Amino acid sequence: MKAWPTIRLVAGRELREGVRSRAIRASLVVQVLLVVAIALFAAASGSDDGPPSLELGVVSTEPQPVVRAARAQQQGSRAQQQGFELRLRVRELPDAVAARRAVREEEVDAALTGGRLLVPGDPDAALVALLQSASRSARSAQNLRDAGLTQPQIAAAMMPAPLATERVAAQEGGGEGLAFLGSLLLYIAVISCGYAIASGVVTEKNSRVVEIVLSAIRPSQLLAGKVLGVGLIGLMQIVIVVSAGLGVALATGSVDMPSTTGQTAALVTVYFLLGYALFGMAFAGAASIVSRQEDIQSTTMPLMVILIGGYVLSTTALGNPDGTLAVVGTFLPPIAPMIVPGRAAQAALPAWQLAASIALMLLTVLVVAKVAARLYARSVLRFGAPMKLTEALRRRGTAQ
Amino acid sequence: MALDELSFSVPAGRMFGFVGPNGAGKTTAMRIVLGVLAPDAGEVHWQGRALDEQGRRGIGYMPEERGLYPKMPVGEQLGYLAQLHGMPAVRARDAAARWLERLGIADRTDDPVEALSLGNQQRVQLAAALVHEPPLLVLDEPFSGLDPVGVDVLSEVLLDEVRRRGATIVFSSHQLELVERLCDAVAIIAAGRLVASGGVDELRRAHGSRRWRVQVSGAPAAWHGGVDGVRALEDSIYELGDQADPQALLDAARRQGRVERFGPAEVTLAELFREATAAR
Repeated sequence: MKAWPTIRLVAGRELREGVRSRAIRASLVVQVLLVVAIALFAAASGSDDGPPSLELGVVSTEPQPVVRAARAQQQGSRAQQQGFELRLRVRELPDAVAARRAVREEEVDAALTGGRLLVPGDPDAALVALLQSASRSARSAQNLRDAGLTQPQIAAAMMPAPLATERVAAQEGGGEGLAFLGSLLLYIAVISCGYAIASGVVTEKNSRVVEIVLSAIRPSQLLAGKVLGVGLIGLMQIVIVVSAGLGVALATGSVDMPSTTGQTAALVTVYFLLGYALFGMAFAGAASIVSRQEDIQSTTMPLMVILIGGYVLSTTALGNPDGTLAVVGTFLPPIAPMIVPGRAAQAALPAWQLAASIALMLLTVLVVAKVAARLYARSVLRFGAPMKLTEALRRRGTAQ
Repeated sequence: MALDELSFSVPAGRMFGFVGPNGAGKTTAMRIVLGVLAPDAGEVHWQGRALDEQGRRGIGYMPEERGLYPKMPVGEQLGYLAQLHGMPAVRARDAAARWLERLGIADRTDDPVEALSLGNQQRVQLAAALVHEPPLLVLDEPFSGLDPVGVDVLSEVLLDEVRRRGATIVFSSHQLELVERLCDAVAIIAAGRLVASGGVDELRRAHGSRRWRVQVSGAPAAWHGGVDGVRALEDSIYELGDQADPQALLDAARRQGRVERFGPAEVTLAELFREATAAR
C-alpha cells in the first residue's frame, strides 16, 4: 500500500475520534459562546469603526438651498461616491447667536447661518468640503435657473457622473483589529491542536496500541496522519468559531469589514497551516519521549515558551507594523505566523518579505518534520521513564 | 545484547511454540520479526524471501503488552486495524463483524473498548490480530491472563485458523503443557541464544533417554535398587540407562509389590526445557 492512503486512513481515524471527543465539543461550544458574546458586547457598546458621525447646526428661520443640499447628503450615497464617508445629522437652531454658541461649545461640528459656514478652530475637512460642494451645486443651479433653463435641463446639468473613488490600501483601524484577532486565533488554535496531538501520541503509547499500529504501518505515516487529522479538526473549529463571530458581528453591524478581509483571512489560513504543521510535528515529537499524560506538560514546555513568548512579541510588534521587531519577526518561523497576517492586514508588508517568510516557513517545516519523525520513530515504542532528547535522537529506530 | 546469533525456522501451516525463560529475548525476537524493532544484524525470511514491508503488513500480531484505542468503538476499531493491514474498507467491516460474532461479543460492537470487561477486551485483542486473515500470526504470550475457559476458546480458535486456512502461527508461552499440546514444533531460547528447535518428537528422540512409568503399591521406596542402570525421577518415572532392561525392572517391581501401572513414559517439554536451560 502506498503512503498516502495509509496517511488518509490514520487522519480519518483522528478526525472521527476528534468529532466524538466530548472535550473538543465542549471547548468548541465555549469558544463559540465567547466569540458571540464578544461580538454582541462590541455591538452593544458601539464601535469606533465606520464613518464619523457629524452634526450640522442650521438656523431654521432662513431655509437655504445649501441646507437642502446638505440634508440630501444624509442619505449618504452621494457622499460615498465622492469619497467622503461621514454620517451627517442636522440640528435645527433658533438664530445666529445660538449657532455661534453651539459651534464654540462644540455641540455641533459646524453651523450654517445667513449664508455663512461657522466652523470651530479645527474644522472637519470632509464636512467643510462637503458643504462647499453642496453650496456650489446650489448656486450653480440658481444661476442656471436665472439663465432661463428648464428644471429637467438644470437637473441634467447638475448631475454629471461623480468621480468614482476606489480604495487601494487597507483602511487603518479595521485592519488592525482584524490583525490582532487573527494572531490571537492562530495562537489559540496552534496551542490547542498541539496539545491534542501530544495527548493523542501519549494515549497511543500509554494504551500500547501503538505497537500494533506500527507493526502494520511506518512511524512517519502514523505521525503524518495524526498531524493531518488533528489539523483538520483545528481548521474546522476555526471556521466554525470565525463564522459564528462574523455572523453575529455582521448581523448586528458591530464591525465594518475592511475591503482586505478576504486577503487577511487567506493569509491567516496559510500561516495557520504552516505554523500548525511546524508546531504539530514538534508537539508530536516532544510527546513521543514520555509515556504518561502527566509528563506532557514538562516535555512540551519549551514549545509553549516559544508560543507564548511569540504571542507576546507579536502583540508588541503589531503595534508598530513597520518596526524592527515586526520585520525581524517576519523571518523567524516560530513567530512569523502570529505576525505576518497582522502586518499584511495593516498594509505594511512588502511582497518580497511575504515570499521570503513563506519560503523560510516551508523550509523550517520540512526540517522540523524530519527531526520529529526521527524522534518519534525512535522513542514511541520506548515505555517507562521519559527519555533524554539527545538519547532519543541517537537511538536506533524501528526497521521501517 | 538481547539476542545472539539466534536462528530458527518455522514450518508453514503449523503451530509453532516459542519458549524460553523470562528475559530470554522472546519479545525482542518477535518485535524484530514485525519490524517494530530493527536488528543490528540478521534477516527475517518469509516464504523463501527476505520479509519486506508488504509482507510484514500481512502479519497478525498480538504484542505482549496488550493495547487498543480505549475510546474507539470495538467494531470500528477492528475495521480500522484491518484496513491498516491493507484490507479494503468493506471487507474490513465484514471481517470485524464476523469475528465479533464468532467470539460472542457482537452485542458490544458500538461500545468503546474501555467499557468492556478485561476478558472481553482480550477477545477484541485476539480479533485485532486475526481480523485481516493473516497468513502468519505472531502472538506474544497470548494465553497469559486467561482463565481456563479463555484458554480453551483461544486454543480452539488458533487450531481452527491452522486447519481451515492453513495459517502459520508462532506463539510464545510459559505454559509448556499447552505448547506441548498445541504445537508440532518449538524453539527453546535462553539468554538470547537458541538452545533447541525442531519437532517436539525429534527433540524427545534427540534427548535419548528411555523412561518408564512404574507404579507399585506395597513396595519400599527404593524397590528398584537391585536393577542395574535405573534412576528414579519424580512421579513414579524411572530413567533407564543404555544397558538396562525394562523387563528386569518389571520383574523387580513384581517381586517387591503389586504393579498398578507399567509403561513407557515420554520426556515432557517442561523437562526438555528445564534441562536445556539449566545447562547454560
